[in-house]
Amino acid sequence: MNNFIKRLFFIDLIKGLIITFKTIFSTPVTIRYPKQKRPIEHGFRGRHAFVRDPESGKERCVACTKCAQVCPSQCIYIDFAINSETGARVLTKYEIDALRCIFCGYCEEVCPVNALVLTEFFEYASYDRETNYFNREKLLNNWDNFIKHHEEVEYLNKFWYLPGINRKRIPSAKRIPKPVLKVMDKVEDS
Amino acid sequence: MGQLEIEKIDETTFVLQMGPHHPATHGVLKLFCELEGERVKKIVPEVGYLHRGVEKLAEYKTYPAAMTLTDRLDYISSMSNNIAYCLAIERLMGIEPPVRAKFIRTMVAELTRLSSHLLWLATHALDIGAMTVFLYAFREREQILQFFEKICGARLTVSYPRIGGVRLDIKKNVLEEIYEFMKVMLKRVDEYETLLTENRIWIARTKGIGVISPEEAVSLGITGPALRGSGVCYDIRKHAPYDAYSEVDFEVPLGQQGDTYDRYLCRIREMRQSAFIVKQCIEKMPEGEILAEESPDMDLTPQPKRIIKGGESLWSGFVEFTDEKYELIPKGEIYSAVEAPKGELGFYIVSDGGGKPYRMRVRAPSFIHISAIPKLCEGHLLADIIAIIGTLDIVMGEADR
Repeated sequence: MNNFIKRLFFIDLIKGLIITFKTIFSTPVTIRYPKQKRPIEHGFRGRHAFVRDPESGKERCVACTKCAQVCPSQCIYIDFAINSETGARVLTKYEIDALRCIFCGYCEEVCPVNALVLTEFFEYASYDRETNYFNREKLLNNWDNFIKHHEEVEYLNKFWYLPGINRKRIPSAKRIPKPVLKVMDKVEDS
Repeated sequence: MGQLEIEKIDETTFVLQMGPHHPATHGVLKLFCELEGERVKKIVPEVGYLHRGVEKLAEYKTYPAAMTLTDRLDYISSMSNNIAYCLAIERLMGIEPPVRAKFIRTMVAELTRLSSHLLWLATHALDIGAMTVFLYAFREREQILQFFEKICGARLTVSYPRIGGVRLDIKKNVLEEIYEFMKVMLKRVDEYETLLTENRIWIARTKGIGVISPEEAVSLGITGPALRGSGVCYDIRKHAPYDAYSEVDFEVPLGQQGDTYDRYLCRIREMRQSAFIVKQCIEKMPEGEILAEESPDMDLTPQPKRIIKGGESLWSGFVEFTDEKYELIPKGEIYSAVEAPKGELGFYIVSDGGGKPYRMRVRAPSFIHISAIPKLCEGHLLADIIAIIGTLDIVMGEADR
């Protein structure tokens, strides 16, 4: 009987309509995307970049090829020569095919010198494939563009020091969180 | 398959090829529907449009790298897939993640369950004709994806767990935010229920549709909420607890009739339980490490090294090798399953001692649920097929792999 009255007076539908009516007066959760942007969370895995070292003004990469080794989609191509005097590795080629990349962040996680980073920049769609095939210069350029628009004075990616993991497990450069200072002069020079 | 069927049928039947681009087939599922008027006489599902060879690909990747493939199986609940994969290898290696990692994993798995069920509710309701729930559910799902972004930097293909723990620690303020959101979430679930549970259109479209008895459901291999809707209490979280499920308190909601409406109620109740588990995990989460000591490194070599015989005592220049090799991952095979949002997700892994899986087989719940479509659709109207596909919660990325 109770159910019959409920059905007769459309109680079930009215209850639902009250909720939809209340929602009219709540603040909208949507944003108008190209004009208005949601703040990107810290550590978002976006476009690749080579960190420009504030001291030397070059990339930090030591050509250990670990990133190419762990990359699940094999989108990193590295080549290096050996300096005959010092015996140190010299990076000769470093290319990332961003269209193949799956943004797992393994490369920045294993990098022993924090040279590579997935920046928080995500709007880099293009009409040709070449634009998203990054070589060394482009990777450094990506970093300059990213750090220029970075609001804080220093930048620290959480994959650079891996919070929570036993310090003994990870390479020495990763043990202490070492942020990169934003150097405006050098950025304008390049 | 379809061609042969068409040749055999008589004048009164009509073959409708539904999909693979039909918006209500949730991906690229194709159904050959043999209709008599508007009644379904027979239905033959066709899969394979999204086949990427994930199982074969995994044989060419090292264990940590193969984890990223599992993100792309059931792409709306990637966290559960990752956990299932990592758990299988942890069991193979015999390592145990630290307690904090266990709680984090349980928490993110339940968050994934929430987001997966929200997406299911949204699309299922939209297929049947309730547009409002679709918008509301996506509002909450967006919040959960944002939490994933805060935790690990990606929204969908997270790759967050790691063999022997998780990759990054979660900050305290993020945990607090999640805890606050769970309180809101419970209210939101009530809202969805007010919109749907008593709604006469919803009841007319779902009650008595796609009824499956407990015996049939078990024999077809259905798992997860679809099985629990028939009243069979089978939940791996409860019966073979993994991670921190043995330390949290929760109920397994069961249905009675085994129809679409009961499965809907089951999932709604499960969402409440998930929110409850997330809250408990945050309350009980201890401080500490997040990665087991024995866990393999990220840059695991694909080939094990040879054992050097003799060693230091030999004259340098002559080093004797044996054919024996260090085992990177112990030899053996293992099947381990977790309760993914869709059902029992199992990974069968064969290891030959090297750094790559010799064979990886995925027991995907969606694929098995597709095989139940012909049984469920028998004698129903064409419009009810949409409801039945929705209620089984199929994701084709997982079915075709």
